[in-house]
Amino acid sequence: MSSFRPAVVTVAMLAAVGLLTSCGGSGAGAQAASDGEPVYGGTLTYLEHQPPTCLYLPAAGFYPNGGVLNQLTDKLTWQNPETLKIEPWIATKWEINEDATEYTFHLRDGVTFSDGTPLDAEAVAANFDVYGRGDDKLKLPPAEFVNNYERSEVVDARTVRFHFSKPSPGFLQGTSVIGAGLVSKKTIGLPYEEQCQLKNVVGSGPFTVAKQVVDKEIDLQARKDYNWAPPSSTHQGRAYLDLIKIIVTPEDNVRVGALTSGQADYVRYVQAYDEATVKNAGFVVKGEPTRGVNNGLYLRPANSILKDIRVRKALQAGTDAKEVVDTLFTDNYPVATSVLSHLAAGYVDLSDKLVHDPDTANKLLDEAGWTRGADGIREKDGVKLRLGVFVAGPQPLSKQTLELVAQQWTKIGVKLEIRPADSGTQAVDIKDAEKTAVNHSMVGRADQDVIKSQFHTENRDVILSDDKKLDQLLEEESALADETKRNEKVAEIQRYVIDQGYVIPLFEEPQVYGIAPYVHGAAFEAVGRPSFYSVWLSK
Amino acid sequence: MTKYLVKRAGQALLVLWAAFTAAYILLQAMPGDSILIKFQNPELGLSPEQIAKIREYYDAGGYLHTVLGFLHGDFGYSIDTGTPVVERLAEGLPETARLAACAFVLAVLLAVLIAFGSAYSGRLRGLLLAVPSLFVSVPVFWLGILLIQIFSFRLRLVPVIGGTELQQLVLPVLTLAVPISAPIAQVLARGIDQVLTQPFVPVVAAKGASRSWILWRHVARNALPPTLTVAGLVFGELIAGSVVTETVFGRNGIGRLTEQAVNAQDTPVLLAVVVVAATVFVLVNLLVDVLFPVLDPRLAT
Repeated sequence: MSSFRPAVVTVAMLAAVGLLTSCGGSGAGAQAASDGEPVYGGTLTYLEHQPPTCLYLPAAGFYPNGGVLNQLTDKLTWQNPETLKIEPWIATKWEINEDATEYTFHLRDGVTFSDGTPLDAEAVAANFDVYGRGDDKLKLPPAEFVNNYERSEVVDARTVRFHFSKPSPGFLQGTSVIGAGLVSKKTIGLPYEEQCQLKNVVGSGPFTVAKQVVDKEIDLQARKDYNWAPPSSTHQGRAYLDLIKIIVTPEDNVRVGALTSGQADYVRYVQAYDEATVKNAGFVVKGEPTRGVNNGLYLRPANSILKDIRVRKALQAGTDAKEVVDTLFTDNYPVATSVLSHLAAGYVDLSDKLVHDPDTANKLLDEAGWTRGADGIREKDGVKLRLGVFVAGPQPLSKQTLELVAQQWTKIGVKLEIRPADSGTQAVDIKDAEKTAVNHSMVGRADQDVIKSQFHTENRDVILSDDKKLDQLLEEESALADETKRNEKVAEIQRYVIDQGYVIPLFEEPQVYGIAPYVHGAAFEAVGRPSFYSVWLSK
Repeated sequence: MTKYLVKRAGQALLVLWAAFTAAYILLQAMPGDSILIKFQNPELGLSPEQIAKIREYYDAGGYLHTVLGFLHGDFGYSIDTGTPVVERLAEGLPETARLAACAFVLAVLLAVLIAFGSAYSGRLRGLLLAVPSLFVSVPVFWLGILLIQIFSFRLRLVPVIGGTELQQLVLPVLTLAVPISAPIAQVLARGIDQVLTQPFVPVVAAKGASRSWILWRHVARNALPPTLTVAGLVFGELIAGSVVTETVFGRNGIGRLTEQAVNAQDTPVLLAVVVVAATVFVLVNLLVDVLFPVLDPRLAT
């Protein structure tokens, strides 16, 4: 403490008050380094927005969890983010029977977990038995990317077969997602609260945990004997980096400032309004698509006002998604042209159905019997046209987005009540269509099943659906073994949910990263989580 | 004295029990709970029946069970992270203790500087006396960001990412110390002013004592007791300030743990934090009360 000079500091601080208004944008203009020959070694400092929570693999969808687990685990298959095709990884080849109720995987030889145990058919079977069915005794919930799972069968040490009670065409892609990362038999046999903890997660990935300070820092070190990258990866063998320091830095401007001042190399979650700062300082902004159900407002037909399709269609017509993007976001956030991202499997362009048209909106509301009151808000039988929505914590600038939409809706006489709430109230009220008429959400996954995840009554059920037809369409989609027929079904569902006014798609939500110019080989899985395997540093 | 101590210790225990019980009741009364918050996560796609099943596993078993657990030092598991609460506390406490202790020492230094500075200086007096009002109205959050922007990102004097233990402490300590120093400085300055008007001061001066001698030997001693009381009370602000400071600087102390536990309504963690904070608060104030008679012989009866 003796090193402090309080008086000096005080004076400096007072003087600093005047300086404060400007921030950022002063970083040294670094050159865009051309990729040369990769170098081994070095430490990457990666700043994460939130601490990881529970690291049980099926819960890996949460980005902070995925960022860690993607480095620690390998998957049976690899989904090429460019083509979305499923390619070999731990499984060298596979056979699927005609109606997609039986999958046989042949495993690569010589793969080991970091505790030395072999990654064999038994380990894979143990993993998917849990992911497919859950385990009541160990308190492990099943994973949403496995549908209709029945059982596994260990054919021999390097061959495993999975049986399904109903066709499960999404399963092959399901084996490539981050939540399907393979862990050792010991790990998968632990109860939930143990599997939640990083120290118990033993994978076969290119990195292992070197050190963890809970909620603050995770150090990952390269596994020297790693030699089983996906065959289509140009880089093989051990990772280039020696060490990755993942440091939790919740403050947006601290992450950005640390990057541009050279204290960090790679940061997740650059806010739209910070993108220019990062770019102007000579750093790279990467907006990775999440290829799933778009960020949008999901309208609940169970709500007493929204049960009238005319009101839902009016809200759809009265919302200007382009204005939202132009005002609040950047080019990394494309305006939605369907309920699915244009990079999602089975996407169809429905932009002609999503035209901003306040006149139609007003007409529909007039027809539905909602007349303008003295305050400009419509009413009917003494009830005001007032709808509640929660600010969505995980969605970027959710509050600002909702405020802008609320302004747009005021013009058609609708009041959107934005409710910032503690997570407890939200957990209770979000399931109540009267209190929460509108849901602001998205979900990313590069498979046709993503739309089922969002809408089916037994999955996320964001609209609290009572629409049997919708459920049936979604079930048909998830059980169609033929790719073309499946895409046609997905197209039909997209049309259906938009025609029914269940959704007001806003934009395709990306994951935005800030990267120093000397960081090369930054790669991402299909839904925008970073892979550090091929990353190398030229500094 | 022994009787006094026993009485105070009894009061302290009562305060602890009351704090625990109040926290317990309030947490129960809140809408939703940590199980719902965590497991209703759409990613898991659990049905209400499955959530009910999970709740059975985690159910702490009511008030009495929890009290008994606490008496045995068993604080249960964090529902949010699945780790034992004791582990989280063991990691967070030293971190926060370091931060709070350094911030407190710096705050006292700042306060003494301001108070005595104003007593010495003629023309600067008004300005110096305005400093506490400025300090107390500076939001900790804003100050932290400001200090980071200036000292770390612009002047590049201290890193906020990585760096040594000491480097990691400098800015958070400063951030936390500034608002804490304000009430101490105010009370100390007022105390000095009051004591300076006492009749014994001109007497000492007439005996030929210098102004410094008067200030340090006579005035300071008499102005100290009320200051000590305030110093005991600002401890609460240290805890509150550490919540914000630790979040801004990404330190994993008790403050940050509290913030996360509040967001997740992580009852076992929150109860433990309340009990720990209340214990320290009670101990600090007990210490202050015990020190009082030592400083002011009139109170030692």
